[in-house]
Amino acid sequence: MTFRQFALHNVFRNSRLYVAYFLSSMFAVMVFFTFANFAFHPAFQEGDMPSSAMKGMLVAGGIIYVFSFFFVLYSMSAFLQSRKREFGLLMLLGMSSRQVKRMTFIENMIIGIFATTFGIGFGLIFSKVILLIAENVLVIDETLNFYFPTKAILLSLVSFIILFLVISFFVTFVLRTKKLVQLIKSDKQSKGEPKASIFLAILAAILLSVGYGVALYVEGVQVVFALLPVVIVVTIGTYFFFTQLSVFVIRRLKKNKHIFWKKTNMLLFSDLSFRMKDNARTFFMVAIISTVAFSAIGTLFGFQAYLTKGIIEANPYSIIYNSMEDEDVKAKVNDVNKILTEENVKANQEVIESKYYEIGVDYPVLIVTASEYNRLAKLINEDSVDPKENQAIVVEDHHANINNFKNDEKLMETKIPLKDGKEIQAYSTISSAVINEMQAYYIINDNDYKYLPEPVKQSTVAAWVILDATDEKLIEVGEKVSESFIEYNNAFSIDYMVYQIERAYGPILFIGLFIGTVFFVSAGSFLYFRLYSDLDNDQEKFKAITKLGLTNDELKKVISRQTAILFFAPIIVALIHGAVALTALKHFFDYNIVYESVIVLSVFAFIQVVYFFIVRHFYTKQIQKAL
Amino acid sequence: MLQVKKINKVYQGKVPYRALTDIDLDVEKGEFVSIMGPSGSGKTTLLNLIATIDEPTSGDIFIDGENPHLLSRNKLAKFRRQQLGFVFQDFNLLNTLTVEENIVLPLTLDGKRVKDMKEKADMIAKKLGISHIMEKRTYEISGGQAQRVAIARATIHHPKLLLADEPTGNLDSKSSRDVMDMLTHINKQEHTTMLLVTHDAQAASYSDRVIFIRDGRLYSEIHRGDSQKAFFQKIIDTLSLLGGNDNDFSSVRPS
Ligand SMILES: Nc1ncnc2c1ncn2[C@@H]1O[C@H](COP(=O)(O)OP(=O)(O)OP(=O)(O)O)[C@@H](O)[C@H]1O
Ligand SMILES: [Mg+2]
Repeated sequence: MTFRQFALHNVFRNSRLYVAYFLSSMFAVMVFFTFANFAFHPAFQEGDMPSSAMKGMLVAGGIIYVFSFFFVLYSMSAFLQSRKREFGLLMLLGMSSRQVKRMTFIENMIIGIFATTFGIGFGLIFSKVILLIAENVLVIDETLNFYFPTKAILLSLVSFIILFLVISFFVTFVLRTKKLVQLIKSDKQSKGEPKASIFLAILAAILLSVGYGVALYVEGVQVVFALLPVVIVVTIGTYFFFTQLSVFVIRRLKKNKHIFWKKTNMLLFSDLSFRMKDNARTFFMVAIISTVAFSAIGTLFGFQAYLTKGIIEANPYSIIYNSMEDEDVKAKVNDVNKILTEENVKANQEVIESKYYEIGVDYPVLIVTASEYNRLAKLINEDSVDPKENQAIVVEDHHANINNFKNDEKLMETKIPLKDGKEIQAYSTISSAVINEMQAYYIINDNDYKYLPEPVKQSTVAAWVILDATDEKLIEVGEKVSESFIEYNNAFSIDYMVYQIERAYGPILFIGLFIGTVFFVSAGSFLYFRLYSDLDNDQEKFKAITKLGLTNDELKKVISRQTAILFFAPIIVALIHGAVALTALKHFFDYNIVYESVIVLSVFAFIQVVYFFIVRHFYTKQIQKAL
Repeated sequence: MLQVKKINKVYQGKVPYRALTDIDLDVEKGEFVSIMGPSGSGKTTLLNLIATIDEPTSGDIFIDGENPHLLSRNKLAKFRRQQLGFVFQDFNLLNTLTVEENIVLPLTLDGKRVKDMKEKADMIAKKLGISHIMEKRTYEISGGQAQRVAIARATIHHPKLLLADEPTGNLDSKSSRDVMDMLTHINKQEHTTMLLVTHDAQAASYSDRVIFIRDGRLYSEIHRGDSQKAFFQKIIDTLSLLGGNDNDFSSVRPS
């Protein structure tokens, strides 16, 4: 048997290990390629993509590459770890460590080349699916037809061959001067515990609470400045949390014989402690990656909701027109009505005069009569108001008003002098979207109106509410309206506006979703590899115990709990991290994204539960097969 | 106590292999029986069948009048850990556990009280001279120590039937005698029925009866008289008949 034959046989006999490593590498390539394929798509290259979106793609591509690197590195080290004993035996039989290194280097490169080729191949199929989904789900103008992605293929090929080359050199590192006996006994010897100390435990607690505290405390723009320090602090805190907590919990459990020696607990916890170091690291990695996924997707959804819902709330009318000075208001209103007739849609319409007065506050304040306000309110089924003579109602600043001036408080204190010598005093504050006005304003009794001074500014507002029309129709109407008012841009359709936002935002959302999903799936794969790298040991262990008499139920219980701890410990932490991150985000936008956050987090939690059941099923099967 | 009736075992594989042919065996309660035979003759196979770890191709096995192979999987597992004790040829110790934890494992699965378990483990460890290694892990002890740990684990729950596959295989003659004394003691004190597979005539001479297997068939059977020494000599003689590869010996009828 030649050396090459031997190496080949080795691959086939150990196929399960190799397949796991191969698949994870292929997965990394596939993800990267799919993304590159998308980024290089002609529709995005030539279309009128905002340049910020292009930059975002570039950064995202970089993140995926760096991530792939660590992912492959991790899979490789898990792969080599499980083969240490084999290397030990080979070296015992006289293989030089140079030969072992050469062997693993060759293996690695072969796996790498195959993984890259197959990854690209599957990536082509996967891209097609993704592009189809993207086309249907997102508002992207250009159709994303399938193209032959020469650039993407070249980029992936070169990037990953380099990556595997670098990683193959790492092999030398993993196998560096270990004593032979350590290699041979590696499957029996625990890799030890992470360092444990009270100091580190307290540090973890402090780091986490400081991180959380700051994240929850800061508001507005401060969030941006706090972001990086908080991320760093929380990441370190999480690392110590898992390493310290695992040591602490396991030690306590092992000390307490009443718990440790109870039924199957001994089997469960002895294993956890045996793999404590690996587990703690996996927990940490999975928690962080999942947090990134949750936060990225949560942020994007939150942001989109903020943009679209915020606008929809502030603009309850289908079309709104604000006259400019010396505009022929009648003609303009007619233009809109003409479009509506052309498009064959019915609409209710109201026109009011909005007049602004100088009353001693630092901005010209809008004052409307109750009857005009009520006409608009009726149009969108809002409550009408009825201020008494010489009394006014203050409408609060629009919540999107970033300046936080609290003008409504000022208006409450201010009195409006009337020409007949009386004064109008505000007596209550309401919040209302009936008039789209950024700053606070007054509603007064119709009878007071004629005693008001001369307005400093005046314009006509016309509002339409279109009655039952399809979304496409609304957008079409909107497009025509904005084309016809292109000069001043002073009439717009809310539906068309939202559509435009979604269109600009679609690719960004897609990238975010894509990256988030990739991270989350990778987190799952980490857990899977963690579990499967111990499969051999577990099989042997359970085989031994079943001989002594372990019922099937007990076996399932142990496996179930073992898997559950692995799957849920990091995810629970990630969910908490994610919830805190999204709360901070809420403070940044000053817009309530609880709904979006809850949806995103629960979808992830649900997927994880499903994932847990699937993996548990197959893992139990694998173990039982060996019995 | 133990009845083995017309047991056959064929290992299915690319080439099916007949490991046991028509084995009949009766063991009384409290009896101590040794099984001897050349390597590959089917001793471990027979023990595994009795231990319900493996299924016979045909034939029946009764332990206390009950056929454990007919029990459901879960009941069988409970039966095994409560009624039977094993010492495996390859020890079968768990390397994630300490010596002490390995010993009490069968008891913990049955939810015994911690105090009782601890007491029993300490007692048995003292008897076997392994008290000083109780906190060690399995890769930190010698082969002979591992063997004694396996014996401790197999006897801690006072099984009705103890099955041991070469329990003295790794021991020097002094330790080997200690272990055999220990087993005889358990056998006499607690009336535990014992089935012992061994290559060591010295160890076999501690038992009441020795059964010889060759090529998967019962070859012969000898009983112990009053003297262990005479018995030992008889075993040696039978082994020399058995041991040769010469097929002429197969015509010798069991005595
Ligand atoms: N799982 C198996 N599949 C196929 N054949 C097997 C299997 N286990 C054992 N055998 C074969 O059955 C025969 C009897 O094996 P067994 O292990 O019972 O021998 P043994 O008498 O215990 O030998 P030793 O004294 O060496 O332990 C051997 O020839 C062996 O090759
Ligand atoms: Mg054997």
